[in-house]
Amino acid sequence: MQVTERSHKAQKVIDRLQKKLNRQMVLSLAGCVHCGMCTDSCHYVLANPDDPTYAPAYKADQIRKLFKRHVDWTGRVFPWWVKAKSVYSDEDLEELKDIVFGKCTNCRRCTLNCPMGVDFATANRMARGLLVSVGVMPEGVAVVSKDQWEIGNQMGVLKEEYLETLEWMDDELQDELGVRHSLIPVDKKGAEIMYTINPREIKYDPRTIADAAKVFTLAGVDWTMPSEGWDMTNFGLFSGDDDLGGTVAKRVYEKAAELGVKRVVISECGHGYRSTRCEGPNWGGVNIGFEMESAVITMLRYIKEGKIKVDRDRNSVPVTFHDSCNNARSCGLYEEPRELIHLVCTDFREMYPNRAENYCCTGGGGAMSMSEYTPRRLKSARIKADQLRATGAKIVITSCHNCVDGLSDLIKHYNLDMEVTQLVNLVANAVVIPEKIEVMEKPAAVVHTLKGFRILVIDDEPETRTYLSTVLEDNAADTIQATDGLEGIEIARKEQPDLITLDISMPQMDGGEVFARLREDPATRGIPVCIVTGKPELRKLIYDKPYRPPEGYLDKPVEEETLVRNMRKILELASGASKEAAETL
Amino acid sequence: MQESALLHFTAHRLQEISLVFMAVVYSIRLYWLFRFKAGGDRQPRTGRLTTSPIKGAIYSLGNIAMPWAMESTRTNIFFWAQFVIFHLGVTAAITLSFVIPYAPGILENPVIVWLFQIFIGAAFLVGCYRMIRRIAVPVMRAISTPDDYFSLGLLTVWFFFAGLAAPNDVSRGEGLLITFFILTAFFLVYVPFSKISHYLYYPFMRYYLGRSLGYRGVYPIQRSATPENG
Repeated sequence: MQVTERSHKAQKVIDRLQKKLNRQMVLSLAGCVHCGMCTDSCHYVLANPDDPTYAPAYKADQIRKLFKRHVDWTGRVFPWWVKAKSVYSDEDLEELKDIVFGKCTNCRRCTLNCPMGVDFATANRMARGLLVSVGVMPEGVAVVSKDQWEIGNQMGVLKEEYLETLEWMDDELQDELGVRHSLIPVDKKGAEIMYTINPREIKYDPRTIADAAKVFTLAGVDWTMPSEGWDMTNFGLFSGDDDLGGTVAKRVYEKAAELGVKRVVISECGHGYRSTRCEGPNWGGVNIGFEMESAVITMLRYIKEGKIKVDRDRNSVPVTFHDSCNNARSCGLYEEPRELIHLVCTDFREMYPNRAENYCCTGGGGAMSMSEYTPRRLKSARIKADQLRATGAKIVITSCHNCVDGLSDLIKHYNLDMEVTQLVNLVANAVVIPEKIEVMEKPAAVVHTLKGFRILVIDDEPETRTYLSTVLEDNAADTIQATDGLEGIEIARKEQPDLITLDISMPQMDGGEVFARLREDPATRGIPVCIVTGKPELRKLIYDKPYRPPEGYLDKPVEEETLVRNMRKILELASGASKEAAETL
Repeated sequence: MQESALLHFTAHRLQEISLVFMAVVYSIRLYWLFRFKAGGDRQPRTGRLTTSPIKGAIYSLGNIAMPWAMESTRTNIFFWAQFVIFHLGVTAAITLSFVIPYAPGILENPVIVWLFQIFIGAAFLVGCYRMIRRIAVPVMRAISTPDDYFSLGLLTVWFFFAGLAAPNDVSRGEGLLITFFILTAFFLVYVPFSKISHYLYYPFMRYYLGRSLGYRGVYPIQRSATPENG
């Protein structure tokens, strides 16, 4: 029986389809001739030869049928003739979800093998975006997107954790190089380079940060890491959510502009490089006034310019290189890594196919965060495993963190005798440490207590105001309370507090509006703001605004220790005023 | 021998009406397409400095004439050869539909007739093979629509009659010629609504993809010539 009633979500998907279409997308959806030439280019197909539902053209048709039914000509009049079909129920959307998230990593290999030039990966990303806009997505995608929206990075790394990891790596590097100066500067204004990383490096692989710091230090460059906007990864690329993509990318750009750096260097991450370097300006609708480049290019330049010296004999184990899809197929970054490998390794073995024709690591497109599809992913990884095995290498190098995880997983699954590493690790291992190291001291301020700081608490709930004020005062801060947004703005102008805690959900004027006015007013623009809210779903009121994002974000109920720790860190990272105050302690 | 009024009508007026119809519909189609805004690349260029959007676009447009350029054609030369034969057959049959009514003298040379018949006949065989492939291969069956079958069937039948009509010999009866011209007219009218209209999209699709991938340093594709290991 034909279902004619459409669910709310299905209707929204149809309504939003038109808005997602540009000329290239229309061409990709209208121009497929079903020749089947793309079929064998997909690693899912090669691992599942008897299942036609993995064929790129078949998967694309599940999206294409919507376009044909609602936008194209013939499908609107004779839908059965071109297999045009609409979606009606939430189950239809779930079926589409299974295909666009679970059977494709958006690696774009089929695109490059299509005689017509159909860009299926981009169409697939569009379909993901449509589903995400109505809340239909794998749980992992929802969790990671939420973290990136709310906390500012896709692994939910808190600012304190980030800064502590930097300090830890700083200490390690000082020990290694035998110096007693800080080697990882944070928020250094006017530095030449701002180095951005993947939160995975904080969580699981901090050594890559120390290795990069070692290279920058020995190259004698003026560099810094940002306290905010340090996450160059962007789940918007995977979820198809251009709003998230633009917001995340702009955090990096705005921080770089605020610090006045000349160049943003992006650590080795395929989707991070593509998102920050290539897609971010398009999603965010902004033009960038500084340079951006991959750390691979930076390291290569330092060696070529003689800023660092390397001894390739230190890396004598046979290595091969896996091209990340996003780097090679979407950004043309494939010769520089090879050039660098030849400079720092003695035994390089090419993998076939390679460069833009390489097979996906199978962990791309956000696949590592979608555990429900892991068996499929690992089955399809057989193609990559065969490729790796054929090189005879003991180490596979990749300039992508997703690939590191995807390859590690398949190496374990297929019992390959290999390790995965990144170029920064090999460069750091090969770099020759000079006898004398010249470093710049970090102009850091350390806040040990809240003594001497005035904090404005804006919240309409008396219990919350009292709680926050009491905790802060118990830790030696002076507090001022405001019962609503208007009063808070007025006090902020007049009293110029060192920090503001701001509730979002308030009567008369919500926190989003208050935040906007604080950021717009030159008198209050520089005051750090920490959002303290019990309604994280309202985050868009803050993060969608075209201003510097808040310096902190806390969920209610907030524990005493968490509150104080975050206040300290925000004040520590705030401008010179807090530094001076700290020095008086 | 004098052609009948029916043959004259199908070879001339019917073709002209069909061509005008196709041109109008194509124009509307292009207008519809260009109402969608084209996406662009706002960021600075990436990749090799030896390439550019123009080089990428040219490479992309010429891709189909370079079977070595894509893995899908490089590793499947037989399929690529079919593609060439099939499309040469289409070109020959279309040419024939103009030659018969407007320059029939050309077909007085038997060599030219044979050439038409060879090209069109080969395309007919490819069409038959492609139909079998579309029906027999599970993946092809899964992605095929009624339009795919009908379009391929229509072209294959059209090739059959075009091959037979090539001698333009009315003394053996007008049936073949009339059928060929009616099929041609139907083909012209049906094309804008079917997958056969892909050739209208082709230059735009390849241009936009090539421009973007040239800008990003991906096109022209670079790869190692020979495996050193593995």
